[in-house]
Amino acid sequence: MNTLIILSAVGVLALFSEMLNFKKALGAIILLGLVGAFAADVMAWNTNRHYYNEMMVVDNFSVAFTGLLIVITFLWFIMSPDFFREPSSRIDHFALIIFALIGGQLMTSYNNMLMLFLGIEILSIPMFILAGSNKSDLKSNEAALKYFLMAAFATGFLLFGMALIYGATGSFQIQNITQFIKSQQGNIPVMLVAGILMMLVGLAFKVSAAPFHFWTPDVYTGSPTVITAFMSTVVKTAAFAGFFRLFSMCFESSSATWANTIWALSALTIIIGNVTAVYQTSFKRMLAYSSISHAGYMLMAILALNQYAQGSILFYATAYSISSITAFAVLLLVSHLAGNDSIESFNGLAKKNPLLAFATVLAMLSLAGIPPLAGFFAKYYIFTAALQQHYTGLVIIAVMGSLIGVYYYFRIIIALFKSENDDVVIPVNNTFKVFLVVTSVAALLLGIMPQLVAGIL
Amino acid sequence: MNEIPLLHILFVSTALFFIGMYGFFTRRNIITMLMSIELILNSVNINFVAFNKYLYPDKLDGLFFAIFIIAIAAAEAAVAIAIIINLYRSHSSIDVEDADELKF
Amino acid sequence: MLQLVWLIPVLPLIGFLAIGLFQKKFTGKSAGIIASATVFISFVISCGLFFQLSSAQTIDYFDWINVGSLKIPISFLIDPVSIVMLLIITGVGFLIHVYSIGYMGHDEGFARFFSYMNLFIFFMLILVMGSNYVLMFAGWEGVGLCSYLLIGFWFKNNNYNKAANKAFIMNRMGDLGFLLGIILIYVTFGSVRFSEVFSGAAKLPDNQPVIVAITMLLFIGAMGKSAQIPLYTWLPDAMAGPTPVSALIHAATMVTAGIYMVVRSNILYSIAPPTLEFITVIGTATAIFSATIALTQTDIKKVLAYSTVSQLGYMFVALGVGAYSTGLFHVTTHAFFKALLFLAAGSVIHAMSGEQDIRNMGGLKKKLPITHFVFLVGVLAISGIPPFAGFFSKDEILAMAGVQSKPLFILLAVTSVLTAVYMFRLYFMTFFGSFRGTHDQEHHLHESPSVMTMPLIVLAILSALGGFLGLPSVFSEHHLFKNYLSSSLTVPSSVIHSEPSHYFEWAMILVSIITLIILIAITYNRYVKKGYVTPLAEINFSKTFKTLYHKYYVDEIYEALIVKPLYWLSDMFYKVFDLKIIDGTVNSVNKGVNAASSTLRLMQTGNIGFYIFAMVVGVILMLIYNLYGK
Repeated sequence: MNTLIILSAVGVLALFSEMLNFKKALGAIILLGLVGAFAADVMAWNTNRHYYNEMMVVDNFSVAFTGLLIVITFLWFIMSPDFFREPSSRIDHFALIIFALIGGQLMTSYNNMLMLFLGIEILSIPMFILAGSNKSDLKSNEAALKYFLMAAFATGFLLFGMALIYGATGSFQIQNITQFIKSQQGNIPVMLVAGILMMLVGLAFKVSAAPFHFWTPDVYTGSPTVITAFMSTVVKTAAFAGFFRLFSMCFESSSATWANTIWALSALTIIIGNVTAVYQTSFKRMLAYSSISHAGYMLMAILALNQYAQGSILFYATAYSISSITAFAVLLLVSHLAGNDSIESFNGLAKKNPLLAFATVLAMLSLAGIPPLAGFFAKYYIFTAALQQHYTGLVIIAVMGSLIGVYYYFRIIIALFKSENDDVVIPVNNTFKVFLVVTSVAALLLGIMPQLVAGIL
Repeated sequence: MNEIPLLHILFVSTALFFIGMYGFFTRRNIITMLMSIELILNSVNINFVAFNKYLYPDKLDGLFFAIFIIAIAAAEAAVAIAIIINLYRSHSSIDVEDADELKF
Repeated sequence: MLQLVWLIPVLPLIGFLAIGLFQKKFTGKSAGIIASATVFISFVISCGLFFQLSSAQTIDYFDWINVGSLKIPISFLIDPVSIVMLLIITGVGFLIHVYSIGYMGHDEGFARFFSYMNLFIFFMLILVMGSNYVLMFAGWEGVGLCSYLLIGFWFKNNNYNKAANKAFIMNRMGDLGFLLGIILIYVTFGSVRFSEVFSGAAKLPDNQPVIVAITMLLFIGAMGKSAQIPLYTWLPDAMAGPTPVSALIHAATMVTAGIYMVVRSNILYSIAPPTLEFITVIGTATAIFSATIALTQTDIKKVLAYSTVSQLGYMFVALGVGAYSTGLFHVTTHAFFKALLFLAAGSVIHAMSGEQDIRNMGGLKKKLPITHFVFLVGVLAISGIPPFAGFFSKDEILAMAGVQSKPLFILLAVTSVLTAVYMFRLYFMTFFGSFRGTHDQEHHLHESPSVMTMPLIVLAILSALGGFLGLPSVFSEHHLFKNYLSSSLTVPSSVIHSEPSHYFEWAMILVSIITLIILIAITYNRYVKKGYVTPLAEINFSKTFKTLYHKYYVDEIYEALIVKPLYWLSDMFYKVFDLKIIDGTVNSVNKGVNAASSTLRLMQTGNIGFYIFAMVVGVILMLIYNLYGK
C-alpha cells in the first residue's frame, strides 16, 4: 500500500514543482520516488493483505505486476526526457504519467469492481491528454479524439456489464461474486452471462483485441512516439493484469460461458494483427499492429487459466514490454533525425550506429520469438499452458501467426544492414547507451534464465 | 402507492443505453457524440440505483458507484472538451469524419 | 577432464562476445587468431574426453526452466556419439578458422566474421552436447541464426540477403516440425530429457502410432536442417556466403545436425519402422536427384553443394536401414573430404579473383600445385576410390542397404557412379586443359598462402586415411568406429540382421573399383582430351570429333543412353522441381500473405464510424452466440 502512497506523493510533487521552484530536480525526484515505490512494492511480497475495507488486495500477483509496471516506467523516464517537443509542458506530462501508473497499480490490485473502474479511468484519462499532447500536430489531435471517443464507448459497455453483474449478484466484491457463481452450480443467470460478456468487451477494447482493436493503430501512430512507447508497454501490461485478474479470480468457475468467445477473440487478434503488420511501411504503425498480435497471444493465457497461466502471462508481459520499449527508443532516436518513422529510415543503421542496430536486432528477434531470447520463452510458456488445456487448434493458429511475425520483424533487421550512401554517425548520449545496454541484456538474460521472472508466480 | 416495477425501470435504462448508442452511431458532430456517451453512462447510473433500491436496499454500493461514475464522467467531459477545442483550432470543424488522416 | 566439459562451449562463446563487442579494438589478424585459439582449446579438451571417457556421462549444471512438472536443466550428455561430433566440430572447425584467417584477410568485416563463426561453434556444441531436446532445439535454432547471418555476410548484395532469407524460412518450416515433435515427446513421456525419454521408449513395443508421429515430426526438422527433399533448395543458394562458411556450416557440421539428431534418438526410431522406411525413401530420392542436378552445374560451389545434398541423402539411407554407426561414420569422413573440397575450391576462387564458373577455369594444375593435389585427394575420397576415406564409409552404406533390399542397392550404386562422374568432371574442367579465363585473371593466378594451404594438407591427410577407422570385416575383425559407438546405439528389430557376406563384399569392392576406373577414363576422355566445356560444347558437335573418337563406341552409347537423358532429367528437375514446385510454393505463400495484408489493411479506414460499427457487430455476434447459440 505504501507503493500507492509514495507514487501519489511523487505525482502531487511533480504538479507543484513549477510553483515551488524545483523543476530542475524533478527528474531525480521522480526516479528516486519510483525506486522507493519499487522497494515498498517488493517489501509487500508474501504479505497478502487487504486494504480500504477490502477494496484492494496486495497479493503476489499484484506485487509482481506492479513491480513490472514501475520498472518499465523507470526505464521510460530514463529514455524519454530528450524527446518532448515542448520542454515547458514536460513536467505536466511527467505528472500525468505518474498518475497513469497509479491507475495501472489499481488495475493490478483491485478487489472490487469499483476499484477496477477507477483504475481504468485513472489510467485512461491521462492517456487521452498525452495522446493529444503534441498540440500543433493534426495527427496527435486526431489520435486523442479517436482514443477518447472509442474508449468512452467501451467504458459504457464495461459499466453496463458491471451493472448487470451487480443486479445478478448484489455485490461488487470479487469474493462475493465468485461465491455466487459457485453457488449456482453451472446454472448461471442470463443477466450475469450478459454482464460478463459486456465486461469482456470493455476489457478486450483496453487490451486491443480484435474486433475491438481499431483504435490501436491510429492512436499509436498519431500520438507522439514517447507516449506510444508508454501506451504499448505500461498501459497494455496494466490492462492485461486487470483482465487476467478478473477472469482468473472472479469468473473462473463460469468459464464455460466465455471460453469460446475468448478463443475466437484470440484467434482473430493473432490473425489480423500479424497479417496486417506485413504491409506496413511505417515502423511505428508496424509496432502497433505487432502489439495487437501480442495481445492475441496473451489472451491465450487468460483462456488457459491453469497453474502455469499466471507465470506465463507475467513473463510474456515482461518480455514484450522490454523488447517493445527498446524498439520505441530506437525509433525515437531514428525518427528524430530522419524526420519520419518509415522503415526506410532504418536503412544502414548497422553502419551508422552499431549499438542501436544491435539493440534493435535483439528487440526484433525477441518479439519474433527466436531463442534464446526472452520472447521465445514467453511464447513457449503461453503455448504450453494452452496446450495443456487442449487448445491445440488455437496453438496452431498462434504458431502460424508467429511465423508471419518472423517475416515482418526480419524486414527491419534486413533494413538495418542495407547499405546506405550517406555515412551519418548518429550521436547517442550516455544515458541512452546505458538504457539500450540494460534492456538488451535483460532480453538476453530472461532468455537464458526465464525462471527469474516466470518462476516467481 | 403502487411501486413502479423494476422491469419498467430497466426498460427505461436499456432504452436510454440504446438511444445513446444510436446517437453515437448516427451523429457526426463530436459534441453530440459526447452527449450520447453521457446518455449511455446515465443509463448505467439508472441501472445501479434501481438495482440497489429494489434488490439490495440494505446496502448502498450501487448508489456510491453511481456517484463515482458521475464524477468520472465530469472529468472525462472536461478532457473531451479540451480535445474538441484543440481539434476545432486545427481542423476548423467538429465533424468527426474530418478527422480521418490516420488510416490503413 | 569432466570438470572441464563446460569450457568446451563456453570458450567459443567468450570468443564471440569479446570479438563481437570490441570489434574495432581487434586490429590486424588478432580476431582470427583469438577465435581459432578458443576453438583449438575446445578441441584439446574434446580429445581429452575421447581418451578418458569410457561410458556415457550426464553432467548437470543448473535449472534453466522450472515450471510445474517441466524441468529443463542445463546439462550436457557426453557419450561416444557426442564425442565423435565434438571432435568433428572443434577439429574441422579449428582448421577452417585457421584457413579463414588467410581467406578473409582482406575483408573489412574480418572481426565480425570471426565473431559469427565462434558463435556458430558455440551453438553447434550446445546442439550436440545438450542432454535434452529443448537444449538441443536452442542450439538448433542458434546455428540456423548463425547460418542466416553468415550467408548474408556480404549484406550489401541484395541477392545474398534473399538467399539468407530463403535458408532461414525453409529451416523454420522444418523447425516447426521439430518443435511439435518435442511438444509431443513431452506430452507422451512427461519429460524432454534424453535419459528419461529413452528409458520410457525402451519399454514400448514397435509401431506405436504416437512414436511414429514423434519420429516423423522430428525427421521433418531434420529434413529442413539437413536439406532433404523437399526442403533442400536453400542449401545450393546458401553458397552465397563466404567459402569457409560453406565448408564449416553447409558441408561439415550444421547440415549433419539432422543426422545427429536421428542418431541421438535412435531408440525412438528403432521402434518406428514406418519412419525408418520413410527416411530411406527420402534419403534415396534426395541422393539420386541432387546427384543428377550436380552433373550440369557450372558453378564450382554449386556442384559441391548439390553433392553435399546427395551425400546427406546417403547418410539418411544408412539411418533408414538402421545402420546408425555407418551413418555417423559417413558424417565423419564426409566432414573431412567435403570441408577439404570446399576449402580447396575456396583456394581456387581466391586465386581466380572471385571467379566461380568452371567454364572460365582450366589448366590450374601447374599454377596451384598444392590446391590441385589436395583437391584430387578430396575427389578420390568422395568418389569412393580405395583406400581413401569415402570408399569405406560409402561402401558400408551400400553393403548395409544391399542386405535390406536389392533395388535400393542398385539406386545407391547408380548414385555413387554419378558422384564419381560429376566430381571428376569438376576436377578435370578446373585443373586440366587450357586456361579459359580472362587475361587479367591469368596474370593474377597464385598459390594461396601457407595459412590456407596448411589446413588443406591436414584435411587431405584425414581424407586419405580417415577410412581406416572403419575397415570392413573383410580386412579386419575390429571395426574401430562401430565398436566405439556401440554402447549408445540400438539395432531396430524390423531390419534384417545379417552382416553382408565376405563374398558379397569382395565382389562389391572389385566391381566398384573397376566401374570407377572406367568412369574416370571416360570422363577424362570427355573433359580433358575432348576438352568439353559444358554446356556450349553440347551443341557444337564437330564431324572430326565424331570420326576421331569413333572407336570409343561406348562414348556414343553413353552419350545417347545415359548422358542426354540424364542432362534432360537434370535440367527438368532443376527447372520444374526446384524452381517451379518448391520455389513456387514458397513464393505463393509469401504472395498470399502479402495480398491478405494489403486487403486487411483497408479495413482500417480511419473513420470512427466504421470502427464503432465493427465493435458493435462484434458485440452483437458475441451476445447472439452466447445467449442463443448454445
